[in-house]
Amino acid sequence: MAVGWVKRSAAHHAVSEIERVEKAVLETSRMQLHKLVEEALPELEMMIGWAESSDPLQTTPIFIRDAKSISKLTCGPLCSQNLTGYLVKPPALDSVPKDAKPIGICVKGCDSRSLVALIQEKFLTRDRVRIFGIPCRGTVDWRKVEKRVQLLNVKSATVEDDWLILDDSGTTHKIALEEVLSRKCLGCRYPNPVIHDVLIGQSATPRSTDLATTYRDVDAIEKEPLEQRLAFWQSELDRCIRCYACRNACPLCVCQDKCIVETREPRWLTQRAGIPEKFLFHFIHAMHLAGRCTGCGECERVCPMEIPVTLIKEKLNKIMEEMLGYAAGLDPDAVPPLLTFNPGETEI
Amino acid sequence: MKDLSPRSSAPADETAATTQGIKIVGFLCNWCSYGGADTAGVCRFKQPTDLRVVRIPCTGRMDPLFIAKSLIYGVDGVLVSGCHPRDCHYAVGNFYARRRMEALKAFLPFMGIDTQRFRYTWVSASEGQQWQKVVTEFSEQIHRLGPNPGLKQRSGDHSIPSIALR
Repeated sequence: MAVGWVKRSAAHHAVSEIERVEKAVLETSRMQLHKLVEEALPELEMMIGWAESSDPLQTTPIFIRDAKSISKLTCGPLCSQNLTGYLVKPPALDSVPKDAKPIGICVKGCDSRSLVALIQEKFLTRDRVRIFGIPCRGTVDWRKVEKRVQLLNVKSATVEDDWLILDDSGTTHKIALEEVLSRKCLGCRYPNPVIHDVLIGQSATPRSTDLATTYRDVDAIEKEPLEQRLAFWQSELDRCIRCYACRNACPLCVCQDKCIVETREPRWLTQRAGIPEKFLFHFIHAMHLAGRCTGCGECERVCPMEIPVTLIKEKLNKIMEEMLGYAAGLDPDAVPPLLTFNPGETEI
Repeated sequence: MKDLSPRSSAPADETAATTQGIKIVGFLCNWCSYGGADTAGVCRFKQPTDLRVVRIPCTGRMDPLFIAKSLIYGVDGVLVSGCHPRDCHYAVGNFYARRRMEALKAFLPFMGIDTQRFRYTWVSASEGQQWQKVVTEFSEQIHRLGPNPGLKQRSGDHSIPSIALR
């Protein structure tokens, strides 16, 4: 089966030596993934990974129970979804008994931090999952692609070296990968899975090693005066339709049907569509993730109104790192800072 | 949400002119600060009248969202007060609260809400004088800031800044 991101585009010419090596690496990692999953599948209840979808620019989650489907598995810059939410949220695992065999899952660097956070809070035990770690060089944000080029009907999307090549009904677009990466990827400090059983492909270089690069967007907002920040958020959050997609996609939003934005008792929010309700909803989401959010960017990726919702959590992550020296999702034995205390601290 | 529009009936005492229209919500821990406020009352210390007290069992009960919701829906100021650290009736409640409220305090201005409208403090049951001081100072601070503009309408006088995100 032809796979989009390694398939060679017809219009692409003059493949340099480096590009060939790079392509070989991508192709090898996909084959390596297939091989490893094939070996592991008999010991697994299910394998969760990414597969190509009807839209070449996006992949779809796939739940593999038999060996025939393994060839559909794919990995690479188009695999933007964080799959770890499926481990704790229905309905994917509804039919899987608690004492069943482990579940295999593909994770990128950011996804692995969500896994660590889930293990920390005991939503998951380490032996329940077989982790296939995939070093990540950034994932493609299809909205950024659409903003750059007028797309009609994309036939295939392939990644070769640092370029995203689109075949759009006869026209070929060559876009620098760097320009269409998701916002969260551009300040990524952990492209390599922090927790894994097997690692596929070569490890990636972090794009950022300091807080200033990672939280560049947060700093950009903080440079504005208070009134301007309020105006910015009012105009952004005014678009919110409270579809709760951000909450549903978040792997750490684990209250499910007890979520206080929907419960009648206690009744925190009304159905009114005013800005205060929208603000409060995003405050609830953010405060419930304070010290837990790993910055995987799922909330922003799924937002139909293109609100930079991850930015709100990024600010809280920055506070946690500066105030309490804690970055979420790195150590499975650590306790999230707002779930514990230190009597000695007087500076905060 | 209850109507939070300014009071129509004027308060009776001579501070009426200054307190009118300003609403401050105070979340006080049952064991220390509520007692402290009571002590201040029993001792007849003069206090501003724009504080509405909500009694909570412990500052450990303080959800930062209580503060956020109050400010979002237009309360002019929020004051949280509990037992001094290491003096919590439940031993550790205020240690948890301290971290949460510090996080919220640093977070509020990011969303465009003035952090000066929120303060937390520690007052024990015997510190009537201290309570009077805290309330007076905070009330004066809120009066200086004026009524909370709130979020209800998008303010027309500010153009939306174009912040370049990555």
